[in-house]
Amino acid sequence: MHQKYVCAAWFSLHFLLIISFSLRDTLWLVAHGPTIFPSSFRSYSQKAEGVVSAILCERLAASNPVRQVLATYLHIAGIETGYGYFAPNVPGSYKLVFELHYPDGRIEYELPRVNSTAAGLRVAGLLDKIGRTPYDALRELLVKMLAQSIWRQHPEVKTIRAVFGSTRLPSLSEFERGKRESYEFLYAYDFSLREKPAEPEIVK
Amino acid sequence: MRALKERLFEFLFPTESDAWLSTLRVGLGFQITLYSLSLRNDWNYLFGRVDSGLINRDLAEALLSIESRFAPRLGWLATLGAHVGLREETVLSILWICLLAAGCGLIAGIFSRTSAILAWFLHLCAAKSGEFVSYGLDNFMTIGLFYLMLSPLPDRYALDWQLRKSQPEASPLLGFWRRVLQLHLCVIYFFSGLTKCLGSGWWDGSNVWRALIRPPFNVIDPEMLVGWKYLFPVAGVFICLLEIGYPFFIWSDKTRKIWLICICAMHAGIGFMMGMYLFALIMIILNVAAFGSGLVRLQRESTSLRPQEVVP
Repeated sequence: MHQKYVCAAWFSLHFLLIISFSLRDTLWLVAHGPTIFPSSFRSYSQKAEGVVSAILCERLAASNPVRQVLATYLHIAGIETGYGYFAPNVPGSYKLVFELHYPDGRIEYELPRVNSTAAGLRVAGLLDKIGRTPYDALRELLVKMLAQSIWRQHPEVKTIRAVFGSTRLPSLSEFERGKRESYEFLYAYDFSLREKPAEPEIVK
Repeated sequence: MRALKERLFEFLFPTESDAWLSTLRVGLGFQITLYSLSLRNDWNYLFGRVDSGLINRDLAEALLSIESRFAPRLGWLATLGAHVGLREETVLSILWICLLAAGCGLIAGIFSRTSAILAWFLHLCAAKSGEFVSYGLDNFMTIGLFYLMLSPLPDRYALDWQLRKSQPEASPLLGFWRRVLQLHLCVIYFFSGLTKCLGSGWWDGSNVWRALIRPPFNVIDPEMLVGWKYLFPVAGVFICLLEIGYPFFIWSDKTRKIWLICICAMHAGIGFMMGMYLFALIMIILNVAAFGSGLVRLQRESTSLRPQEVVP
């Protein structure tokens, strides 16, 4: 019987966390994304999300032991995120193109490349994360790392320009009228080689 | 109050056969095996460091450390390997082989508990160190493996069980862990459906269109998809209702079968039409383990009872 009480207590805590995180993510979506709710709901949602976040110890300092222990448990149980996949609406995707400049003036174009479809889905997810991050420095760093991987495959390249853009998907009626997906320029980064291929330097 | 407590305990700790656990073990074994095989040519590239990787693993691990210093990561194992003179690439290759072996161990049911813990730990390390290249699939795999390693293994179909000299009694926690998985799926689908219902695009079908033409999920030619345009609003509403209705209709004996078939068909459809085979597989495995094994057992029982009914 004692074992059952322990299990029941764990169950209560576990599901409290799962539901709280799901609720927080739902409130975040209402607060930030276009939804069927009127825009006046946004501020309420934002406040409610703040309350749920506080309950989940997310307002504590990152080094706080309670927050650390909780975060560890969430990660090992796989419950650190909500479940709003492709919700409330399906976002557009992102594209990263590398412009390789050779010493002889030749220019080639390259995309981040992997060997399998399964890894390709992961790279697409990575580009989404780069596109959605609110931190410019992190975005630049991630693009720089991807440029480094391209550099290893093409060590003779002099400079690399990384062009990051978003894909605008046509609606069904637009597609029927002949419109196809289009790309919108978002960021460009120029990298040049200083000493060794592994450490390119951002020049612009 | 006492009656309520008793009812709650009856619900949380039902008497249960281990058929569901066999489904979960074998299913996750296949999932881990296919996951490993699908990434075999990119494993070192996805999870390597600055000299060999796509994205330096150190960055993801540094960001993870801000959140949690104790969450498992590949860096720990690479450091351990370095102490015994193993190169980064060698350690990653060994980990890949261990993950594949754990998947095969789960399928056969050899060292079931050890295989489950190893699969959970190694997959979690990869998912956390490769946070930038992780997606929903990894979350669901972690959830499934977490419950599997805590469940009372081995089940009677595992080789471990067959090789045992004395057969232990069924654990009273068999039903509990199945309930946990069932309720977790209910929460997942409810919130997934609820958040979809918030977007107008699911009601008019435009989100179904967008999901199918969005790179890299654009497996089917959009020209062909246009011919199905009248199905999109129906599909959008159907997905919303199917997901949000899951916690309400999956429990009843009358609606469980149809709901389970529809949910599995939806995931199979996502798998084939969007190229997300592994994602589809993990969702089908979790659903069938949670709610499917009882259905199969009930059918088998009713079939076996039939001849007895006609005997006078």
